[in-house]
Amino acid sequence: MKKLMIVLTLASLLAFAGQAFAHSPLMSCFDNGDGTVTCEGGFSDGSSASGVKIHVTDGGGKSLIETNMNQDSEVTFKKPDGAYMVIFDGGAGHTVEVNGADIVE
Amino acid sequence: MKRKLTCLLAALGVLMITGTAMAHFMMVYTPEIALHEGQDLDMRIVFTHPAEAGHTMDMGGVQEFYVVKQRGDAAPKKVDLMSYVKEITWKNPESSNKAFTAVIPKKEVRSMGDYVFVMKPGYYHEDEEGIYMQQITKLIVNVGGLPGNWAEPVGLPCEIVPLIKPYGIWTGNVFKAQVLSEGKPVAGAEVEVEYMSHMPDLKSNSLPKKSSVEYPHDSLITQTIFTDADGYITFGVPKAGWWGFAALGVGPETQHDGKEMSQDAVIWIKAVDMK
Repeated sequence: MKKLMIVLTLASLLAFAGQAFAHSPLMSCFDNGDGTVTCEGGFSDGSSASGVKIHVTDGGGKSLIETNMNQDSEVTFKKPDGAYMVIFDGGAGHTVEVNGADIVE
Repeated sequence: MKRKLTCLLAALGVLMITGTAMAHFMMVYTPEIALHEGQDLDMRIVFTHPAEAGHTMDMGGVQEFYVVKQRGDAAPKKVDLMSYVKEITWKNPESSNKAFTAVIPKKEVRSMGDYVFVMKPGYYHEDEEGIYMQQITKLIVNVGGLPGNWAEPVGLPCEIVPLIKPYGIWTGNVFKAQVLSEGKPVAGAEVEVEYMSHMPDLKSNSLPKKSSVEYPHDSLITQTIFTDADGYITFGVPKAGWWGFAALGVGPETQHDGKEMSQDAVIWIKAVDMK
């Protein structure tokens, strides 16, 4: 029984290790010039970011907008006043942060 | 005696023509094809001899210039770019001719993903051989490291489809690609390979006289590879910089204006040194 547990644990570690390495998250954001911001997401192996959680926070880390990447791995939201951060939350080890100050047209 | 002399002169004539039928290479060029983020792309379309800064030819205008872009597995989008194409004069050390510039604004290249640029020129008349040439050319750019359609055929009359990312090549890597004609692999196609040993000066629209490479023999100025039975070529990349591949006469159009035509497929790749 103990042997089985060890084998299963090792097997699951290997499985997750493989996934964690295969693709890194990517996000690119643009100011649309009309009061909205669009962010596109994805992974370095080309796989979709559809459904991934997006948090938009203010300069102090307070949540302003909670949304998700759509089917096209894109999200558009109203540009916050003042400093803000956009966080792509694909789970542990799969997050990307973009500072609102770096989001230009 | 007169007949022998005519034969001799004809033979010499043929030899001279063979010597000067150097590799005509359509260039679709922009300084960087592996971009971190979207930006204006300053592009040039020139029909010349990049390994020799030689003769510059009149390509007969640009019939089509567009990009097929794709981010990951999102739907690919085709964007026509003809409105950005402007005629210029390209000046090589001993030859000037019409060429084209296109500055693609950032808004067209802002998303992450692959951008497969396609340029279909008009027809060039090669006076010495009495034939027409048309080199349909691809250049693949990536923004942000997110791949897209770099390995997908565009659906051209003839094209070279890479199996190795053409913007992600280290010096020393092997580049592998397949030559297609109307979507089908071409076995035994002759593919010429040339290194851009004269780098385009985008301010003066010219190639400089000095070569970055010494060529000890003609067969090294323009290398030749034949595609295998399944239409593939493989090429070990010996030096960082730009490499052009031209599959000769693989297109379905073999005639133009009553004369023989060579419809070729060209692709450019860029290799980078590991540091």
